[in-house]
Amino acid sequence: MFLEIKDIHKSFGTGESRIEVLKGLDMEIGKGEFCVLLGPSGSGKSTLLNIIGGIESADEGSISIEGEYLADMTEKKLSQYRRKHLGYIFQMYNLIPNLTVRENIEVGAYLSDHALDVDELLQILGLTDHQKKLPNQLSGGQQQRTAIGRAIVKNPDILLCDEPTGALDYNTSKEILKLIETVNLKYGNTVVMVTHNDAIKDMADRVVKLRDGMIRKNYLNEHKIPVVDLDW
Amino acid sequence: MKNPLRKRIPRELKSEIGKYLVIFLLMLGTIGMVSGFLVADGSMIKAYNESFEKYNIEDGNFRTGEKVYRGQREAMEEQGIKIYENYYIEEALTNGSTMRFFKNRDEVDKVCIMEGRLPKTTGEIAIDRMYADNNSLKIGDTLSSGDKTWKIAGLIALSDYSALFQNNNDSMFDAVKFGVSVVTPEEFDSLDQEKLQYNYSWIYDKKPKDEKEEKEVSEDLMKEMGKVVTLENFVPRYQNQAIIFTGDDMGGDKAMMVMLLYIVIAIMAFVFGITTGNTITKEAGVIGTLRASGYTGNELIRHYMTLPVLVTLAGALAGNVLGYTVFKDVCAGMYYGSYSLPTYVTVWNAEAFLMTTVIPIVIMVLVNYGILHHKMRLSPLKFLRRDLSGKKQKRAVSLSPRMKIFTRFRFRVIFQNISNYLVLFVGILFANLLLMFGLLLPSALDHYQLEIQNNMLAKYQYMLSMPVSILGGGNKLDSLVDMLLFSHDTQTDNEDAEEFSAYSLNTLPGKYKSEEIVLYGVKENSRYIQADFSEGVYISEAYAEKFRIDPGDTITLKEKYEDDEYSFLVSGIYDYTGSLCIFMEQEKLNRMFDLGDDYFSGYFSNTEITDIDTGYIGSVIDLDALTKISRQLDVSMGSMMGMINVFAVVIYMILIYLLSKIIIEKNAQSISMTKILGYTNGEISRLYILSTSLVVILWLLLSLPIETAIMEVLFREMMLASISGWITLWIDPKIYAEMFGAGILTYAVIALLEYRKICRVPMGEALKNVE
Repeated sequence: MFLEIKDIHKSFGTGESRIEVLKGLDMEIGKGEFCVLLGPSGSGKSTLLNIIGGIESADEGSISIEGEYLADMTEKKLSQYRRKHLGYIFQMYNLIPNLTVRENIEVGAYLSDHALDVDELLQILGLTDHQKKLPNQLSGGQQQRTAIGRAIVKNPDILLCDEPTGALDYNTSKEILKLIETVNLKYGNTVVMVTHNDAIKDMADRVVKLRDGMIRKNYLNEHKIPVVDLDW
Repeated sequence: MKNPLRKRIPRELKSEIGKYLVIFLLMLGTIGMVSGFLVADGSMIKAYNESFEKYNIEDGNFRTGEKVYRGQREAMEEQGIKIYENYYIEEALTNGSTMRFFKNRDEVDKVCIMEGRLPKTTGEIAIDRMYADNNSLKIGDTLSSGDKTWKIAGLIALSDYSALFQNNNDSMFDAVKFGVSVVTPEEFDSLDQEKLQYNYSWIYDKKPKDEKEEKEVSEDLMKEMGKVVTLENFVPRYQNQAIIFTGDDMGGDKAMMVMLLYIVIAIMAFVFGITTGNTITKEAGVIGTLRASGYTGNELIRHYMTLPVLVTLAGALAGNVLGYTVFKDVCAGMYYGSYSLPTYVTVWNAEAFLMTTVIPIVIMVLVNYGILHHKMRLSPLKFLRRDLSGKKQKRAVSLSPRMKIFTRFRFRVIFQNISNYLVLFVGILFANLLLMFGLLLPSALDHYQLEIQNNMLAKYQYMLSMPVSILGGGNKLDSLVDMLLFSHDTQTDNEDAEEFSAYSLNTLPGKYKSEEIVLYGVKENSRYIQADFSEGVYISEAYAEKFRIDPGDTITLKEKYEDDEYSFLVSGIYDYTGSLCIFMEQEKLNRMFDLGDDYFSGYFSNTEITDIDTGYIGSVIDLDALTKISRQLDVSMGSMMGMINVFAVVIYMILIYLLSKIIIEKNAQSISMTKILGYTNGEISRLYILSTSLVVILWLLLSLPIETAIMEVLFREMMLASISGWITLWIDPKIYAEMFGAGILTYAVIALLEYRKICRVPMGEALKNVE
């Protein structure tokens, strides 16, 4: 399998305030799959995403991508792993405030030897007219599109999306989801998306439902529907 | 109920302890040093001012060629003065210096005993404390001249020699090669009486009210005295450098130190302002919420100002304690290193407290209030939306996409932190100016010595000891006779010797204080002075620089103790920096001053003249004599230069540390995000630290010409205020390299700290809610 997650445990705090967030998760995601992690607040979905992203480390268990184990990697190798394989999209965009739209995307492009064409990507993202603007001159949707651009410009193997529509209205959310769907289809990246919006599961290849740090459901979506048909 | 926000203050202090500690230490050091200086300065000025009464310092002195008889004395005393004998004899000591011997004084210009006691028997001597320090002499050591030896019984300060000027016209005092001392009357009588100088001090019966009146009274007195005796020398107190130089200098230093303090405080206030501004940006959401809940802008301004003001207050109070205890002695030591001051008692200095505590806090409050008020002018909604630009929409500066992304990234970092960098520029300018001064003075003095050595008029300048009647006498016939006799006995067979005439005039008092200018009358086709005098006179480069005179200008000089004025057309500048002087044809000079066609004052010679009786040789101007200024400045200011350099580097380090820290903190979230994207610490450092590095390099380079221009003004003012004569500003190109090198090295240390800071930014930072 492309991405294998085995018996992942993670807790925060010590002593009496110790909280076990992930209590032994096992799952696999295939290459090019669109996987949605669903669950209520505190279910551990963002923590799992961060562990996949190498931002946090698991207390127990292992994660491997194409046979390479994250736990065996040094800090430097983890950087290389993120650099080569990962693209990250956050709810709060996390754009670099003093760089323009184009420059934020180029910051991502710099990391890849096979980066996508920035102009073409700007066109796809609908940001050509805004490329010279700073993030604070953009709407939330435009900022998130820029963040998506930055994440996918290096054509990563895995796109990790942490509540990418959490701060957006209905229409803009659909726009963003459409974009991620397009990217997934066009470039064949594996997408792991964390959301608490139940409706989004319908566009995924795989749905993983978490609650209290455990996987409650993990299934392949037999009736996947395009974003345009989603409604909530 | 007290404002609950105050509970944040100790927490903020704890979380940012590094920053506040660094600022506190800088404040402590600067305020401590300035406070110590002001206390020492105030106490010593008080002791100095009180010494006039305490030691009954003379109102003036005059010297005659012969003893003043009772009748003459009484005639002079009718002018409202009391005259005291203050004879002295000078002897060349075996240690290469000259000692001026006085009898123990008990009426006027009394002696302050610093250590030991006054001499009680013959063979004992009490010498000036500073001369002793500079020559490593202590009580019990001996001094000798010829076959005479004196044992040092005490170290003293003569109240009329707080600055050891051998002659009042000297460019600078010389506490290394000139000393004063007292011996018993018996011992004094056993010295070579041929060398006895009939020096008299006077005290006014009724003191003049101010310097203007003192000047008028002394001018009248000189005229009246001139009618009774032939004056060789006449120095009223307000002109006596040995007495007033110290007081003038102490006042000048004070202004400089206070200015230094305020500059440091202002820079620190801006640093605080920027850090607080950064905090406001970070806490915009909280501020918006508080404002929306009813907190006023002023309440929040007060909250954010509390810590900077408290740190300043703590620094000022602790600095004052340090100033009164440790630094006071350090600063007093500096004065004792330059001047022969009497003992002092530390006095509470309210002005120093105001200057080092109240004013720094006021500066801190004003600057911070200004910055915070500007930040807080926005509506609560703007804070809630985190839109703090204040303008409609802040547009990005256009950068060509053809530039590499790293280059554009660095430009963006620079644009984002422009206000930090501007403060950094002011800081670098200030710190580098200090560093430049610290490095420059020793090198300027060395260069001065070398230059003098290289362009001396001649290796030896013999000034013959002329009877006073030739120069100052009113009777032209007597002058002529004396001059003929003198000319006969002062002939030499030395083939290198070339006669010259010399005459002293003074500049007119005005913008600059009146200074003595020596006029050299040189022979046609002189071997030593090559210049064409057909159009006018040549002036030395030192004179031209000091008084900013150009060829074509006309200069007017006057007789020192008379009103006669003389004008000269300057036709050229002569490459000579040893003294302020004029070169003209000997014949013209002799004629101008009625000295007679054959008159001459001395010889230029590149070899030593050995066939003239030493009794006729008044002085020999050689390298040693010409480098007196630089030697003394080196002694009195040399040790301070090291301290200035350290202070400059510390200021520079602190500023760069604080401002680059702000830049890293401001961008913590972006740094975290770039880490998540896969950027290495090295790459991130190249983005964020290299931007600052480039700015630091640019600022260092840009600051050099500005510092040079400022230094030219400061050095000139310093030279105008502190010395007669002139030292040309010389900035060794090596100094620029040293300053740049010191700047880069210092920055490299800070950059390493910043690199560590970047490494420590957690990736989780990007996951936090932007708050």
